[in-house]
Amino acid sequence: MRSKIGLLVVFTILVIVPTLDYVFAQEEPGEYLDRRVVIWNLFFRMMVVAFTIGAVVSGTMIWLIIRFRESNPKAKPTKYEETGEW
Amino acid sequence: MVLELQKPRPIWQIMFSTHHTDIGLLYLITSLAFFFMGGALALAMRIELFLPGPQIIADSMTFNRMFTVHGTTLIFLFILPFASAVGNYFVPIMVRYKDMAYPKLNAIAFWMIPPAGALIWLGFADFTWYAQPPYSVISSPAPAADMWIFGLKILGVSSVLGAINFVVTILKCKHPDLPLSKMPLMAWSFLSSQLIIIVAIPTFAAALLMLLTDRMGVSGFFDPAVGGDPIAYSHLFWFTFHPEVYVLVIPAIGMMYEIIPRFSRKPIFSHSSGVFAFIMLSLVSFASWAHHMYATGMSFTEKTVFMIGTLAAVPASAMHVFNFLATMWGGRIKFATPMMWSIGGIALFFSAGAGGVVNSAMPLDFITHDSYWVVGHFHLFVMGTIAFGSFGYAYYMFPYVTGRMYNEKLGQVHFIFSFVGAVLVFFTQHVLGLFGMPRRVFDYPPFPEWIAMNQIITFGAFLLAIGAAIWLGNFVYSMGKGKPADMEDPFELGGKYYYPYQSKTPHHVGY
Amino acid sequence: MSEHGNWAEWVYIGVVCALLVWVGAEAWNVERLVEHVPADAEVIKVTAQQWFWSFEHEDGTIEIGELHVEKGKAYKFEVTSKDVIHSFNIHDYVVLIDAVPGRINTVWFAPDEVAEHEIQCREYCGLLHYNMRAKLYVEGST
Repeated sequence: MRSKIGLLVVFTILVIVPTLDYVFAQEEPGEYLDRRVVIWNLFFRMMVVAFTIGAVVSGTMIWLIIRFRESNPKAKPTKYEETGEW
Repeated sequence: MVLELQKPRPIWQIMFSTHHTDIGLLYLITSLAFFFMGGALALAMRIELFLPGPQIIADSMTFNRMFTVHGTTLIFLFILPFASAVGNYFVPIMVRYKDMAYPKLNAIAFWMIPPAGALIWLGFADFTWYAQPPYSVISSPAPAADMWIFGLKILGVSSVLGAINFVVTILKCKHPDLPLSKMPLMAWSFLSSQLIIIVAIPTFAAALLMLLTDRMGVSGFFDPAVGGDPIAYSHLFWFTFHPEVYVLVIPAIGMMYEIIPRFSRKPIFSHSSGVFAFIMLSLVSFASWAHHMYATGMSFTEKTVFMIGTLAAVPASAMHVFNFLATMWGGRIKFATPMMWSIGGIALFFSAGAGGVVNSAMPLDFITHDSYWVVGHFHLFVMGTIAFGSFGYAYYMFPYVTGRMYNEKLGQVHFIFSFVGAVLVFFTQHVLGLFGMPRRVFDYPPFPEWIAMNQIITFGAFLLAIGAAIWLGNFVYSMGKGKPADMEDPFELGGKYYYPYQSKTPHHVGY
Repeated sequence: MSEHGNWAEWVYIGVVCALLVWVGAEAWNVERLVEHVPADAEVIKVTAQQWFWSFEHEDGTIEIGELHVEKGKAYKFEVTSKDVIHSFNIHDYVVLIDAVPGRINTVWFAPDEVAEHEIQCREYCGLLHYNMRAKLYVEGST
């Protein structure tokens, strides 16, 4: 299983990177690249993704904290508490 | 069993003891003392930066010395000894051995720390915690820089001795009935982090010697004026200290692995994925050192290699986070102080990791490198994750160490102050970095955004300081006057604890 | 672990890996774009020393503490240092490269607006590191 996933990742890299390379290779001649634009664009794209994931992770954590806190009305002893072994 | 205040012993019996809990206690006290000293420096620096222009610190040299000693102290004299304290107390219990494998070596490793700390503090060097040549060779004032070098040298030897001791204790002295695969994850965290130390530290030890001979003028390894290469030092330094980041963070994750299942009243979701992630982290920790050096003029290929090496550390860290959340899922969680620290630590660990992914993306280094973004980023790790995990564990082991309970309310207040403070300080520092403020500056031009953000950060720093003061008061008071803890189950959770008092060995075997 | 299905963890790790591949590919591509120096870029030699910047233009003019460039042209900085490591930074144009003694590092940019910008040192270099600044003047083409 693990090796299959590893293989999958390798193939993804092998396919996606050259495709991107090809797509972005067409530069308009005459105009200089504006490094502010490309770098900050990259930054903001990554921030969008980071904050989306952050919202999911922190949302999950907050839900876990509310739902599984001891004082929640729906809280019930875990099955491990009977034996006291965990 | 260390219940010193209930059954007092003369102090030298503890100081000259070789028993693992006694040495653990010495480590604990030393590391917490250095935490408050280093924290005081941080607070002074934040007051200085509250407004542009000199405030309370006389000149930039003093300020430079302060951030150098602040960084060195908190990394080498707080976080590492704190992990050793926890390891000394718990690893022998977890592998079911009577003591550490080499008790005398253990004592020697500890007793190297106070002189090293004294060298660093009395010298008060100014070349930042990574002593980058040629500055550290040609520009740094003399006795201070050399004292720092010797201090770090001693600390390096101490770490390696301690690491050998942990590795031998775990691999050779483990009870034969306990297979490695069943060993608690906290013991695993020590095994992996201490193995990293053994592999990584010698490189820096060599670099320090070269730095010293360079300073003495008998060699020119890092001085371009005589044909040396300062970038070689960066490689040697980060080959040790990028893995060192994992040495710091892995035991803190191990501590969370002890606390989170306990307070969720469930076993850990997946023991084997925790083990796998620890092993992965220790391996890939060696694949990313030069991501600290993108701006030194590395080639595109080098940068690509180290970016991939850096990103490779993410899945393993993500597995830990998943493991924590999956453990809490379906549990019955008691929000006592240690659990709050652990959960806060995980939240900030995620933020720090996300920031790290952004850092590793090569072009973004043009924005973030050596700016306050970096300060915010690594403080989220060292303070937000590692120190939070450690503080939680300090609360967790408090009843065991003292036989008494701390004040639960004050513990939670400490957490809330620290969490809000950490978010204010370190998240704002990220933004401040995006606005271009360089790190390690004594003063800054009066741009309105910079001033506003610096003031928010200083405010947050005060919250952290208030929290720390509450903590100190709580512990000092509770040590003597707290209500006696139920040693079978101090947190009223049920289940079994890995508490050293359960060990079969009598008091003070080695003494 | 035996009693839990761990498909969720595998899906999760798969998502994480996919995101990392995306981050890596994007970063790789942008880095490739910004590293490509235009052939007609004018060279400006930048020398750092404790604690000021000096700039030498292609025509031999030397400026200290300030730098005048023209809008709409590309410039390639060849950055080095005379004493310790500094870092040449024009934050407004996302230009950053270390000034390492004994090495020449290059970075390029093409200013597109008439304005003033801060040049600062971003690597700790001692006593006046905090004040090792210069001004960048972008001027209209002549």
